[in-house]
Amino acid sequence: MLAARSLAPALALFVAAACAAEDLPQLPELAPAPSVIPAAVTVKRLTRSQYTSTIRELLGEVAVPIALEPDAEVDGFLALGGATTSISALGVERYESAAYDVAAQALDNDAIRARILPCEPADATQPDPACAEEVVRSFGLRAFRRPLGEEEIARYTDIAVLAAEKLGSFRDGVEFALAGLLQSPHFLFRVELGEPDPDAPGRRRYSSYEMASRLAYFLWGTTPDDALLAAASKGELVTTAGLEREADRLLASPRARLGVRTFFEERFALHRLDDLVKDTSVFPSMSADLGPDAREETLASLEELVFDRDEPYPSLMTRRRTIVNRRLASLYGVPASSLDGFAPVTLAEDGPRRGLFGQASILALYSHSTATSSTLRGKFIRTALLCATIPPPPADVDTSLPEPSEVMPTLRDRMAEHVTNPVCASCHTFLDPIGLGLEQFDGLGRFRTTEQGATIDPTGELDGAKFQDARGLGEAVASHPDFAGCLTRHLYRYATGVRERDGDEPLIGWLTERFGASGLRIKPLLREIVLSEGFRFGTEAP
Amino acid sequence: MTRRVPELSPGRPLHRRTVLRGLLGGAAVGVGLPLFDLFVHDNGHALADHTGFPKRFGWWFFGNGIHAEKWTPAGDGPTWEPSPQLLPLAALKSEITVLSGLKVYLPNTVPHGSGPAGILTGGPLGKVGDSFDNSTFGGATLDQIIAQTIGNDTRFRSIEVAVERSLDSLSYSGPGQTNPPEDKPFALYQRIFGAGFVAPGDTPILDPKLALRRSVLDAISSDSLALKKRLGQADKIRLEQHYDNIRALEKQLKKLEEDPPNLASCGLPATPEADYPDLEGRPQMSAISRVMSDMLAMALACDQTRVASVMFSRPVSGVLYPGASDSHHKLTHDELGQQPKVHAIILQIIEELAYFLEALRKVPEGDATLLEHSAILCMSDCSFGKSHAIDNYPLLLAGGADGALKKGIHYKSPSAENASRLGFTLLRAMGVPVTEFGAAEGLVTQGLEDIEG
Repeated sequence: MLAARSLAPALALFVAAACAAEDLPQLPELAPAPSVIPAAVTVKRLTRSQYTSTIRELLGEVAVPIALEPDAEVDGFLALGGATTSISALGVERYESAAYDVAAQALDNDAIRARILPCEPADATQPDPACAEEVVRSFGLRAFRRPLGEEEIARYTDIAVLAAEKLGSFRDGVEFALAGLLQSPHFLFRVELGEPDPDAPGRRRYSSYEMASRLAYFLWGTTPDDALLAAASKGELVTTAGLEREADRLLASPRARLGVRTFFEERFALHRLDDLVKDTSVFPSMSADLGPDAREETLASLEELVFDRDEPYPSLMTRRRTIVNRRLASLYGVPASSLDGFAPVTLAEDGPRRGLFGQASILALYSHSTATSSTLRGKFIRTALLCATIPPPPADVDTSLPEPSEVMPTLRDRMAEHVTNPVCASCHTFLDPIGLGLEQFDGLGRFRTTEQGATIDPTGELDGAKFQDARGLGEAVASHPDFAGCLTRHLYRYATGVRERDGDEPLIGWLTERFGASGLRIKPLLREIVLSEGFRFGTEAP
Repeated sequence: MTRRVPELSPGRPLHRRTVLRGLLGGAAVGVGLPLFDLFVHDNGHALADHTGFPKRFGWWFFGNGIHAEKWTPAGDGPTWEPSPQLLPLAALKSEITVLSGLKVYLPNTVPHGSGPAGILTGGPLGKVGDSFDNSTFGGATLDQIIAQTIGNDTRFRSIEVAVERSLDSLSYSGPGQTNPPEDKPFALYQRIFGAGFVAPGDTPILDPKLALRRSVLDAISSDSLALKKRLGQADKIRLEQHYDNIRALEKQLKKLEEDPPNLASCGLPATPEADYPDLEGRPQMSAISRVMSDMLAMALACDQTRVASVMFSRPVSGVLYPGASDSHHKLTHDELGQQPKVHAIILQIIEELAYFLEALRKVPEGDATLLEHSAILCMSDCSFGKSHAIDNYPLLLAGGADGALKKGIHYKSPSAENASRLGFTLLRAMGVPVTEFGAAEGLVTQGLEDIEG
């Protein structure tokens, strides 16, 4: 049940690669990528984040309503939830209301309107079927991420004409047509069903346009831009050369930052920081902004790691640099380098904070509202960073944890009592001893050395690697044999939108080797995943 | 652009909405105005095919269970006394039936998940891969099965709300197909009573945009139908659900153009605050719950829907209640002994249940009340929160489903009967002609005759 996947080669490569050159290294030739039987094709509903960024991409800086269909989390990712859920009655209402809202905003803004309308009507108070058709054709291409069929063009042009007639306004006609396109399942769902693969009978190849969507949502967290759609129109995205070129272009674009942010936000469940609940009598420095601020620190640090400094992935756990605002600097007891907004700081050489385990996002999110939790923190490390599977706690057992007392002042004391039950111990001994390594940070992420007057003991061992405190635990995680492979696994899962199957394991192992060979740089790994069979091909859905 | 038709027709002596607004002074209660005859619509038809009032259904859910010793009443049948945890319901004793001793026989694979799935679907959680997973129920929930029968004539087939902010939903139309609850009071108000809502006595606004919006939805449903043909089985079901909900919205918009149901107790509830921010890190559960209860009572009284469900707190709820030293879920596990702190939280929760039920009882309908015409199932996600047990499941019924259910009794299961039998009885009481309910160990072919009216 507690799968510890062996990826020893990756570790060896990491050790070798950690001191590799600064530039994107030339990857040594390895064995060719193992073949996979790709996952069944499916349609995926846009997540809230994808919906919002897509609307902005299509319409510019409009205010996107926040009341949308909620995301579902499946296998740790909202992106996977999109492949299993439908749209509820409330969701249909919300998408309708949002569609009219953003369409009206866009048309009331002259600059945006000019971008959407490739033509002007002969008479603003009359329908103009020819111009309406042009609008539907050009906006439809971007909204559906493929050219519309003739029937679809007629359908939405008719709407524009009908509405313009009834309301005596060409603009209002366009508003209804745009709002319609933005409610269509072809917009709200990513329809990626593939076409028969000419090279492999029985297999489906994602079409050039479908590949544009897959690339853009994976690497950018948003919809394809015009250049990507142009490449798609020429059939270039079903060729390896075309795919490589566009992958490189997308990864070099500033928009790739949103893509990497979106992935990690989902992977660490950082969206939950919006609703962080903390008892202010225990944590007086808690405020409604703290959760979102803490998320920004983690995502900005990751962005810097990947894009500005090209650090190896394990640096996430060990880096001394972080990016904070005054609120976080005060929580951490470090000087803020900027009076307003976020700015990089270098943490003290001998201080307790390093990398992710020194960040309030993780420390506060994986705690209770009044206290820390070695179980929640341990589970985060095991599942989100090392890809272990933890079964839910068994039912029908007494799960109580003693209250703090003079006899059992620290959480470590109380957990020791807790795991006397062998049923519980089987999992808790896997989680709590590592979670206790973070005990010197309270439930909000403030450093402390005592609990109830007793000294906190943050030492422990992670699968054979002994650590003295949170810094040591971060190092132990960074050099854990499953650490690099777990990122590959999660990126592959997120990229393909479905949970990986046994048949994917050789490919995931191979990708992890390539990851190691690149010095554990995330950008080359993203590129390898895009080029892999699992990303480019599908199997017909039953 | 919008062409407004004058709201008052000549010759109508009194404007009903004005009357209600004036009488209620902002408070949200249904008042038994003797106006039924006064406001008979020339072509009002909502009740034309009814001899009485419609039946309504809903569930009211709270997370983290109860303490059986303090929950289960002494006595049974019609002679029972409210237990300590049911004390807030004392004034409603004649309206509720307490059920004790029923058991969910399904495997308790996911604490806080297997219980609600068992009660609401009669079956196990859904599967992700090979294992039962808390991310979905395995089938449709009672409210949605019932809505298929009684929800087709109203503007909304069903309405779901949550008091605790949550991404969870306990209402499913099928595996993976949740009906997410509205958790913002103001948004709920806008949805039901905002633009386009027509109160009895008002004339619908003939807005040409309503017809155009329906044309747009029609176009989208054509897209959906064409797309469906190209999909695999699982995606087909998902898109069908979307299609049905597009059609439902079309119907909703059509309803806004029709004369409203002519219901004496219908009126506008008070407008909620724009926002209910946490106070000192604690959500305003009581204020939110009450304003939502008042809105739901009016949504039902105005026949905007006949199915309304409330997730007061979510499974594994971590709400910090006023006065509590820790979050609800954590206390259920960590507090020792008789758990007085958890008990105090449960009392706060049941007080809000009482408010909701009173809001329904306050609405007169003919000689009876809205509550009498309803069946409300009240439940939690386990029996004892500390152990996640799902035997001796805490279940209450309120309202008589217009005579289909007995009220005011304590039904003590003589033999730990299958809890799905309650679902079976509820489906029958609401007029759903089922011959079985549930799946796997939860499958039953009979109800609980002793509580049937």
